[in-house]
Amino acid sequence: MAEVRLVNIGKTYEGGMEAVRNLNLTIQDKEFVVLVGPSGCGKTTTLRMIAGLEDITSGELYIDHKKVNELDPSKREIAMVFQNYALYPHMTAYQNMAFGLKIKRVPKAKIHEQVMRAAEILNIEDILQKKPGKMSGGQRQRIAIGRAIVRRPKVFLFDEPLSNLDAKLRGQMRIELAKLHKKLDATVVYVTHDQVEAMTLGDRVVVMNKGEIIQNASPMELYTNPGSKFVAEFIGSPKMNFIEGYIQSADGKLVFKNNELRFDLSALTHQNLKDHIGKAVELGIRSEDVYLSADNLKNDGQINAQIIAVELLGNEKLIYTELGEHTLIAKVKAGQESPIHRNSDFYIDLEKAYFFGKEDGQRIY
Amino acid sequence: MKKILIYLFLSIAAITFLYPFYWMIVASLAPESEISGLWVFPSKLTLASYTQMLSKIPIGRSLLNSVIVASLTTLGVIIFSSMVGYALALMRFKGRNLIFYIIIFTMTLPFQITLIPNYITMVKLNLVDTYAALVLPFLLNAFAILLFRQAFMGMPKALIDAARVDGCSDLRILFQVLFPNIIPTIVIVGILTFMNSWNEVLWPLIVIREESLMTMPQMVTLFSVGGRAESQLGVKLASAVLLALPIMIAYTFFQKYFIQSMASSGLKE
Repeated sequence: MAEVRLVNIGKTYEGGMEAVRNLNLTIQDKEFVVLVGPSGCGKTTTLRMIAGLEDITSGELYIDHKKVNELDPSKREIAMVFQNYALYPHMTAYQNMAFGLKIKRVPKAKIHEQVMRAAEILNIEDILQKKPGKMSGGQRQRIAIGRAIVRRPKVFLFDEPLSNLDAKLRGQMRIELAKLHKKLDATVVYVTHDQVEAMTLGDRVVVMNKGEIIQNASPMELYTNPGSKFVAEFIGSPKMNFIEGYIQSADGKLVFKNNELRFDLSALTHQNLKDHIGKAVELGIRSEDVYLSADNLKNDGQINAQIIAVELLGNEKLIYTELGEHTLIAKVKAGQESPIHRNSDFYIDLEKAYFFGKEDGQRIY
Repeated sequence: MKKILIYLFLSIAAITFLYPFYWMIVASLAPESEISGLWVFPSKLTLASYTQMLSKIPIGRSLLNSVIVASLTTLGVIIFSSMVGYALALMRFKGRNLIFYIIIFTMTLPFQITLIPNYITMVKLNLVDTYAALVLPFLLNAFAILLFRQAFMGMPKALIDAARVDGCSDLRILFQVLFPNIIPTIVIVGILTFMNSWNEVLWPLIVIREESLMTMPQMVTLFSVGGRAESQLGVKLASAVLLALPIMIAYTFFQKYFIQSMASSGLKE
């Protein structure tokens, strides 16, 4: 297994489209790193550059301390699992898995041994003689992963491998992938646009946008300590709520204010907030930090808003309310009362609130 | 009533197509004296015309020549046109589209226009009166390139990426990964090329003079119009039947693919 290091990596396509800009990232040996971001953010391009399927325009790429910029994909000791599996339709599962080794002229007995071992790990011994056309999506995905395992690569690359599966199977495969990572003890780079996958699978999550790394941290760190509005909005489901307003100083108190609301921020004595007095900001609050009562809250901000919809999730429910032009979502215990189309009081826990600059979206507090 | 009319119309159409064919076969089996009018109903069937024809021209040798030439041409077209189609569909290089348009443009030129330049080339290369003269000019074919290009463009890009990661070269991707998945295209290119090559008369007439190298259509044409048949219609017809036979047999075998390739375009799993 090996470390992957990207140094000032850039990719510009013919015609001048810049897909990836000045990317610096080190993926430690045996680490599971997820590249996540909206479509077109450059995550797949980055993965394909690591694989060698895309030329690197600028910068250096090291796998296991060896510069591999000019190396063919097959010589980089990587294996890739594709979104649509990319199994060879005319070969059986066994042949699909054995193909790469056959090209490398590995002796037949050794190929058999390696294929059978991968098949055992993935529990696919009984479908080895089937062709991809006769398999279910989940089975094809397993064969595709098997094909990667058989190569015994230094680095596994996954390109949205679960996005073609239905929700139930996706959940199941997610757990299996996590188990597989433990079992193989391998370096993994995983690309997805699904933040749930990113959060559940990654040792570390790299959030990308417009060809750049926005934040690179552990899943929990991203959730609790987002560096910008982009990350705060992208990570977490339901999305974080945002309320636009200004920070003002009134009667010696620090307040967050807009046409409908006024929150006292005196208890939040952070210099950064004071530096933004008079400036437009956005207050971010996660739905689980919005309550129907102020009990147990030391420092709350009150909002009166009309409930427009309620989604019951079982033991919890999501209450959608209209707040000016925005929707505010509160996640509360299912038993609490929330009559639809009626106005109700909500309390946000200001201790858990985030503040972002309106202009640049950077975190202030 | 409407249905009857439709059937009547279709039957007439079918007969106009089939009757000349029937006439040719029956007339070739009839005694020479009975082939005269539009309607042939021989009193007895005989192979006399065939035995006579065989004694007059080396039809067996020309059949072998035709098989060799058509097979080599077909094999060459499948290999080389697929390579060009692969490059045009999957490789990125400057002028790719321009090259493609030029190739398409050559389809609009009738073969007769390039006949003379081609002939001069053959003379300069000292290839007149060789198999090479019959095969070389046909080894690449714009229509085949177009069909292969379309077939490769329809393949999932990830399949090729996967093959690259597995360590395949472009040639291996083409012949080991893509070829098994475009069999209908290969078959249709094969059939069309084989048929065209088999039926070609004009070009062999120009570049081949040696009787032992003549292809069957050339031989039959020379035989029929060149006077060696001595105005015996039955003998001419017998040679025509032999000429048509291999293509008919081939078509019966590959008919399935003809329909498959026409019907499956646009349907991808």
